[in-house]
Amino acid sequence: MKTKHVQHLYWRIGFGILPTELEKLSKKNKKAVVNGLINASKTITPLKLDTSELDDLLSGSYEKTRENIKKVQTISRQKTKELNVAWVDRLAGTKELLREKMTLFWANHFVCEDNNYVYSQQFHNTLRTHALGNFKDFVMAISKEAAMTKYLNTKQNRKQKPNENFARELMELFTLGVGHYTEDDIKESARAFTGYSHNLQGGFVFRKRQHDESIKTFFGRSGNFNGDDIVNIILENKQCAKFICRKMYRYFVNDIIDENHVNEMADVFYADYNIENIMRYMMLSDWFYDEKNIGTKIKSPIEFLVGIKKIVPVNFKNPKQLLYIQKLLGQILLNPPNVAGWKGGRNWIDSNTIVMRLKLPSLILNNAYISKAKKGTSDIVAETKKQMFKKKFEKRFKTESNWSYFNDQFKNVDISNLENYMLACTMGETASVYLESLSKVSKQEHCVQLMSLPEYQMC
Amino acid sequence: MDRRKFLKKSSLASSLFFVPSFVKAFEEVTSSYLGYKRLVIIQLSGGNDGLNTVIPFRNDLYYKERPTLAIPKKSIIKLNEDIGLHPSLTPLKRLYDEGYLSIINNVGYPNPVRSHFRSMDIWQTATDSDKYMQSGWLGRYLDHYGKHPHSAIEIDESLSLAMKGEVINAIATQNPKSFYNLSKDPYFKNIHNHQNDAHLSEHNLGYLYKSMIAAESSAKYIYETSKTISTSKEYPNNSFGKQLKTTAQFINSGINTKVFYGSLNGFDTHVNQLNAQKRLLKNYADCMGTFVQDLKDNGTFKDTLILTFSEFGRRVKQNASIGTDHGTANNVFIIGEHLKKQGLYNNMASLSDLDDNGDLKFEIDFRTIYATVLNKWLEVDDEKILNKSFKQLDFI
Repeated sequence: MKTKHVQHLYWRIGFGILPTELEKLSKKNKKAVVNGLINASKTITPLKLDTSELDDLLSGSYEKTRENIKKVQTISRQKTKELNVAWVDRLAGTKELLREKMTLFWANHFVCEDNNYVYSQQFHNTLRTHALGNFKDFVMAISKEAAMTKYLNTKQNRKQKPNENFARELMELFTLGVGHYTEDDIKESARAFTGYSHNLQGGFVFRKRQHDESIKTFFGRSGNFNGDDIVNIILENKQCAKFICRKMYRYFVNDIIDENHVNEMADVFYADYNIENIMRYMMLSDWFYDEKNIGTKIKSPIEFLVGIKKIVPVNFKNPKQLLYIQKLLGQILLNPPNVAGWKGGRNWIDSNTIVMRLKLPSLILNNAYISKAKKGTSDIVAETKKQMFKKKFEKRFKTESNWSYFNDQFKNVDISNLENYMLACTMGETASVYLESLSKVSKQEHCVQLMSLPEYQMC
Repeated sequence: MDRRKFLKKSSLASSLFFVPSFVKAFEEVTSSYLGYKRLVIIQLSGGNDGLNTVIPFRNDLYYKERPTLAIPKKSIIKLNEDIGLHPSLTPLKRLYDEGYLSIINNVGYPNPVRSHFRSMDIWQTATDSDKYMQSGWLGRYLDHYGKHPHSAIEIDESLSLAMKGEVINAIATQNPKSFYNLSKDPYFKNIHNHQNDAHLSEHNLGYLYKSMIAAESSAKYIYETSKTISTSKEYPNNSFGKQLKTTAQFINSGINTKVFYGSLNGFDTHVNQLNAQKRLLKNYADCMGTFVQDLKDNGTFKDTLILTFSEFGRRVKQNASIGTDHGTANNVFIIGEHLKKQGLYNNMASLSDLDDNGDLKFEIDFRTIYATVLNKWLEVDDEKILNKSFKQLDFI
């Protein structure tokens, strides 16, 4: 496999690749590399924090008092922050790369959040469990998640008083896309999901007495449908396969859709709704590696952050600052803007986020310093400037960066060749000429220079 | 005059001799002082209890439903024989007396949602309550009518959905200087020195370069324009006070910005509401009073309209913790010099005709207020921005 193609695959399916592994994989063929990725993700490693305190609170004797509710919320807020940090670490260090990237993808598809941490952690791991499984099982599992029944009000959906929120989003956002159902379809399917609820510990509960047992007419068919029946009927419509493949294409391949490629994918996906198979198909296709697809996507804030962490491991002394950075970049994990999720692509970029993105690598890795020493000179101001900037920015970004790890990983890479490992696209002419005029003081300083380019935002 | 001020002034004066800058300066003067209308949005986050803000003190139901939470008649600031303001709102009463305040009662939307996030989304995107949209109403204003990202500025670290358009996003900045500092590393200037615009438009990378150039120039423009002005007004020393102080500084400097957005948090008063709301409303009113005075002193108040809203009001009946739970309709404050209908715009909501949850039934759709502000104040096509035609109100 071409080095460039391995890099491309690892940017889209992961968060970049380090030199040693890149050398190793470049010697294999495409099938072997793709199989390697898939096999490494056969296992499922849930991401769980210690929730004993909450579990105790939510055990049998729980009383729904204001004090208890508040306690659950307070602990949950704290735990959600911890999970955010743990998730970022997981993404940067995982062996189950494909599964983790897919989990991130699904988290922006089945968008949900909850103020009870036990439920949101369970939801989070349901995403991970089904990330490469069968899409039908996935949708059914999601519809029964405690957090989801709360988030989209299926819990309040009762025979006498149906709530259409979940039924609507199920079709609009999770399976078919807008315009492929009628308002009547929503009303009828909402009745099929009546009675969905959960117990205190987050397990699914079907409240039979609140379920509407009468006949529903949905997509031209009539019967005493329940929620799973509705999911089955929806998935019989090929539009569902198309809708999901479109979203995958946009996320993994290109913002600009190639209808032929999406249709190819939809044919494959519609056959069995197996997510692993469709991902394999995509990764093995020739078009995935077309020139127009390489280095042309804008990284999401998380891809950007995790990508940096993979090259130079960096830790935030105060974990809150990692969340603060996510806020400034416009994507706080576990805190989606609304049920439609983040739009992605160019929508990540505004005046604030672009400035932050360009400055961030130097801020967290190099005391805000980007070397500008002219060619043939050494950077004599570097140390004094760094000391000065350190004082200025430390309150906001107190980090520890492991440059010796970087130097070790890149020890066989020539400094003049560093950009080929760091950038997914060709450097613009002005930038290239300018960098050529600068001194490559050290690999570290050059790495920061490269990460501070708009080109580094691309994958 | 100290040396630094002198230098600043003289360099400004000398630049006037060069024709291009003179023309530029002249343009800015015309745009900023001659009818350059600005809109300031203030968001009270958490759901302000409107019923303890604008109070129907003659209504027995009010005291009956809120035995320990109602504001005693004697401490209410009376506006007329039936309705009064929370005692913390003295500065607002002053604006009311001068004819600068219009209170629109009972504002909401059909099928109200009682979740903070969702309801805030609805207010910010201006959609129906069962539709989701990923752009905000002010962002869409920018898309159609904004000239630069800094045509709209949020005084915060990050942007609210309200300020994100389909193609252009506003700028968020708490501190123009630090935003400028982040953007001005010469390294960034040098990597795009000779990029020409045609090359930049098409691809994602070009888009990044373009955004970067626009951000640099906005950051510089905002910083350099606003630093020429400093205020002598004493604002309350807290983050909302600082937001309004920065906003006034922007406006008084003649910056080319049409929309400003600020927010005050903490209104989610489920427990022991009395003290919390007292403190919050006092801060709101004190800051607002200073802000208006600051604008007046600089001759910019006449071209500024201030709209204050909250994502929902609260339940009529108090809860067991001397607080209130999430409700529906609420009041909106409009502050400005040219109000057509000063004082109370409409009657207060009925406290006897409530919905199934015991919440107010709204009378005025908040989007009719947006439509009016867009159409009559910012003088743009409201339908293009709201994707729907709404009735115009006549408060301005």
